[in-house]
Amino acid sequence: MSIEQQYQARAKELLSGGAVKMVIGYGKGTTGNRRRPIFISSPDDVGRLVLDDSCIINLSGYLVSEGLLSDEKRVAVFLRPEGIRAINILAAESQLDADQIVIFGFDVNDNELRALKGIHVEEFADVIGSIRENNPGFADKELLEKIEKMTAQERFAFWQEEFAKCIKCYACRQACPMCYCRRCIVDSNQPQWVNTSSHSLGNFEWNIVRAFHLSGRCVECGNCDRACPVNIPLRLINHKMAVEVLGAFDHVAGMSKTQEPVLASFKKDDSETFIL
Amino acid sequence: MAKIGVFICHCGENVGAKVDCTKLAAAMGEHPGVAVSVEYKYFCSDPGQESVKKAIRENNLTGVVVAACSPRMHEATFRKACAEAGLNPYLCEIANIREQCSWVHTDKDMATEKAMDITRSMVEKVKRNNKLQPIEVPVTRRALVIGGGIAGIQAALDIANAGQEVVLVEREPSLGGHMAQLSETFPTLDCSQCIMTPRMVEAAQHPKIRLLTYSEIESVDGYIGNFTVRVRMKSRYIDIDKCTGCGDCITKCPAKKISSEFDCDLGKRTAVYTPFAQSVPNIPVIDKANCIYFKNGKCKICSKTCQCDAIDFAMTDTFVDLEVGAIVVATGFQVQNNSVYGEYGYGTYPDVINGLQFERMASASGPTAGKIQRPSDGAEPQTVVFIQCAGSRDPSKGVRYCSKICCMYTAKHAMLYAHKVHDGKSHIFYMDIRAAGKGYDEFSRRAIEEDEAAYVRGRVSKVWQENGKLMVRGVDTLLGRPVEIAADLVVLATAMIAQPDAKEFAKTIGIGYDEYGFYNEAHLKLRPVESSTAGVYLAGACQSPKDIPDSVAQASATASKVLALFSKETLEREPVVATNNEATCAGCWGCVLACPYNAIEQKDILDRSGRIIKRVASVNPGLCQGCGTCVTFCRSNSLDLAGFTEKQIFAEVMGL
Repeated sequence: MSIEQQYQARAKELLSGGAVKMVIGYGKGTTGNRRRPIFISSPDDVGRLVLDDSCIINLSGYLVSEGLLSDEKRVAVFLRPEGIRAINILAAESQLDADQIVIFGFDVNDNELRALKGIHVEEFADVIGSIRENNPGFADKELLEKIEKMTAQERFAFWQEEFAKCIKCYACRQACPMCYCRRCIVDSNQPQWVNTSSHSLGNFEWNIVRAFHLSGRCVECGNCDRACPVNIPLRLINHKMAVEVLGAFDHVAGMSKTQEPVLASFKKDDSETFIL
Repeated sequence: MAKIGVFICHCGENVGAKVDCTKLAAAMGEHPGVAVSVEYKYFCSDPGQESVKKAIRENNLTGVVVAACSPRMHEATFRKACAEAGLNPYLCEIANIREQCSWVHTDKDMATEKAMDITRSMVEKVKRNNKLQPIEVPVTRRALVIGGGIAGIQAALDIANAGQEVVLVEREPSLGGHMAQLSETFPTLDCSQCIMTPRMVEAAQHPKIRLLTYSEIESVDGYIGNFTVRVRMKSRYIDIDKCTGCGDCITKCPAKKISSEFDCDLGKRTAVYTPFAQSVPNIPVIDKANCIYFKNGKCKICSKTCQCDAIDFAMTDTFVDLEVGAIVVATGFQVQNNSVYGEYGYGTYPDVINGLQFERMASASGPTAGKIQRPSDGAEPQTVVFIQCAGSRDPSKGVRYCSKICCMYTAKHAMLYAHKVHDGKSHIFYMDIRAAGKGYDEFSRRAIEEDEAAYVRGRVSKVWQENGKLMVRGVDTLLGRPVEIAADLVVLATAMIAQPDAKEFAKTIGIGYDEYGFYNEAHLKLRPVESSTAGVYLAGACQSPKDIPDSVAQASATASKVLALFSKETLEREPVVATNNEATCAGCWGCVLACPYNAIEQKDILDRSGRIIKRVASVNPGLCQGCGTCVTFCRSNSLDLAGFTEKQIFAEVMGL
C-alpha cells in the first residue's frame, strides 16, 4: 500500500469513528503537478486526498481559522517537518491546543516520499530535533552566497530593487501560518505607521516589519515565497533572521510546544552584543 | 481647538549661549495651535513658574510645552505648576533643548534649528495628550532592611523607633558588619565595639524589628508600597529557639583550626562558631564545609555536649515570604585582595597585612587581644610602614576612585601603634592626605605632631625580605630622592570595593549599579539615597566608599524617606501604564513573558453561557511601571501606553 493509500485509510477511519471532525490535506490542483488544500469532513470523500512529492504547501495556518478549534474537537492535518514545527509555535503562542491536532506527517527527501511516525506533535520531537543539528537551511545556495558577499550598500540596493516590485497585496501575510493576528499592524490606521501606498518607503516598512515579526518564529516553510506574485525572495530574509537568532540566542523556532518566544523571553546569559 | 503655551527657558547661559531663544520663541509663536510663546531666563524659578501659571489662566491654555532641561530634572516641577493653575499635569511636556541640544552643539544657528525641531515635535505631541489621573495604590507599612552593619542597623532602628515594622536581614550569623571588626574609630578614638554592640542589641530586642540573621534575599517582586520578598534562612543546624548561647558546643568542637573570617585570617575558629564573642544573636552556626560530622559522618560532639538538644544535623534551608512596602539596601563593601600587588608581597610575606587585619590586631577583642604583633613570629614591631592608596586611585591594578577612609584610618593606625608601642616608629607613604570632615584634619595633624608619624609623600615600588626585615623601597617626592626603610611590619591601606556579588544582587532586586558594582542613586546630588527603582533606598558603603558618620547619616536619610512613604495609607502613582485593546489582541501572550514586572495577566473573555470566546492579555495598572516593553513587543499593536500613546509618539515623530 502506498503512503497515500495508508493515509486515506487512516483518514477514513478517524472521520467515520468521529475521532476527528475534519482532515486538512492536499487535493488535485488546476494543473498536473499542482496541489491545493482540501478540507474533508465526510469519510466518503477521503479518495480526494492526494499525497506525493508535489505536496509542499504548509497547511498549519488553516488550523487557526476563527472558530475552527473552539468546539474542542480534533482536526487532522497533513504536515511536513516545517509544518510540525509551526504547530509547536502556534501552541507555544496559545493559538491552539496541540492535543486537538492529529498529524499526518510526511517528508520528501531526494524526490522520495516518506511517512513520519506519530500522531501528536510531541511524538515528532526526534524528526524536528534533527533540524537543529542538520538544518537544511536555505535551498538557493547560489543566491545566499551572492548576498553574503555583498557590502551593506550593495545589499541595500539589492533589496531596494526587490522591494520595488512589491504591490502590497499582502499575499505573503495571508499565506504565512504565523500571521494570525486578527488585526495586522498594517491595517491599523490610527496612526498609520506603515504607509499603505506601494512606494519604496511603505514597501520597505512592510517588509522590515514582516521580517522582525517572524524573527525566531519562522519555520522556513516557503509559503510566503510561493505566494508572492512578483517573486520577491522573501524566504531569504527569513532565513537570515533565523541565522541571526540562532547565533545570538541559540534558538531554533518550533522545537517544542512549550518553547518560550525568543523575543519575549529573557535569560541572564543572553548575549548583549546588540546593545550599543 | 488647541491652545498650547510654549515656554522657552534660557537656563541662564546653559541654553541661551547656544540657542537663539528669541528666534525660537518667534518661530514657535507662528506654529499652528500655539497661543503663547515666550522666553525667560529661568522658568524653574518662582517668578518663572508664576508666569507659566498666569499664562495658563489668562489664555485658557489646553497644553504646555516647556523647552528647557531634561524632563528628569524639572518635569515634576512644571507639571505641579500646571496643576496649580488648573491644567491637568499630563498636558504639560518638556522639550529637552539643553542636554539634547545646547550642551552638545557648538554652532548656534544649527543648534537653534534643532531646538525648533525638538520643541515643535513636543507641541505636536501635547496637542494629542490626554488628561490622566494618578493611580492610588495601597502601601504595606513594613520595611525590609538588607544588611546588618551599622547602616542597616541605623536605618532599622530609625524606622522602628518611629513605630513602623522592620524586617532586618543579615547574611552572616551575626549583626555587626565591618564596624564590629574595627578597633577604635576616628576622629574620636572611641572603641568601635563599645558603640556598636549596644546598637546591635537594641535592634535585636526592638519589638518592631524582626531579625533574620544567616539569611539571604532569594527574590524580590512587586513595586513601591507592595514588594513581595522571599528570604532564604540558611540552616544553622542549630535550633534558634532552643539554643541558649552557652557556648559549650564551641568549647568542645574538635575542629579548631579553621581560619576566622571575622579576624581576617589572623585567628582561628571552630566549625561550630559565632563570629565573635559579642555576636547578636548569640547563637552559633555549624560551618558545614569544615564540620567533621558532615565531612566524615562521625563526631557529633557538639550534639552530645548540648544540654538543650538544640543541634539538628538534618536541618534544611527554609524560606520566609515577606510583604513589605519599602526596601533599604545596606549591603556594605569588601576590601580588595592586595595580592594583585606582587611587588608589595601581600600573601607572600606574612608580615605584610592589610588595614582591616591591623584593625583586628589592634582590637582588644581581636586575636592578639590588642597587642601589635608580627604575624610571622609574634614579635612586637619596632618599625611599621603604612602604604596608602594600595589599590585606590590606581587605574592600572586597583580602582580608579578614592576609597575615602584610608587617609583617616592610616593616621589612626599610626596613633594606635604609637599608643601601644611607645618607642615604635611609623612611616606613612601617601599620595595626598585627604582629611575633609569634622575634626578630621585636626586628627591627622595629631598623628603627625603628637604621635610622630613620619609622612613620606611618594609611592612604594617594592617590598622584599632581607635579614628578617621587610625592606621598603619608595620615593620621597618632596625631597626628590629614593627612600629605603627596614620595617618589621607593613600595612597596606587597601581599597574598598563593592561586594563580589553586588551586581548579581542588584539584578535580583532590580536596581542599577556603576562600573565598579556600587549601587546607583537616582540623582547624585538631589536624590542621593534613592535608587533608580521607586521604593528601594540605599544606605552606606554599598553606594560608594563611606566612613561611619556618612553611613549613619545616609541610613537615617533612608529611614526618613521610608517614613514619608509610610505616612499615608495609599500612594499616588504615575498613571503612565499600558492598556490592551482586547478587540485586536491575538492572545499570543508574548507580552506576559516580556513584562519585567509580571504586570500582565491572561484573561478569558466569556459569552453569556460561560464559554470562552477569546483569550487576551490584561494589564494590572497597579503593577505596571510604564516601561513600554510590552508595547514594543506586541505584533498587532494592541498594547498602548498612556502618556506615550502610539498617536502621540507618531505626532511627535511627524512633527520633527
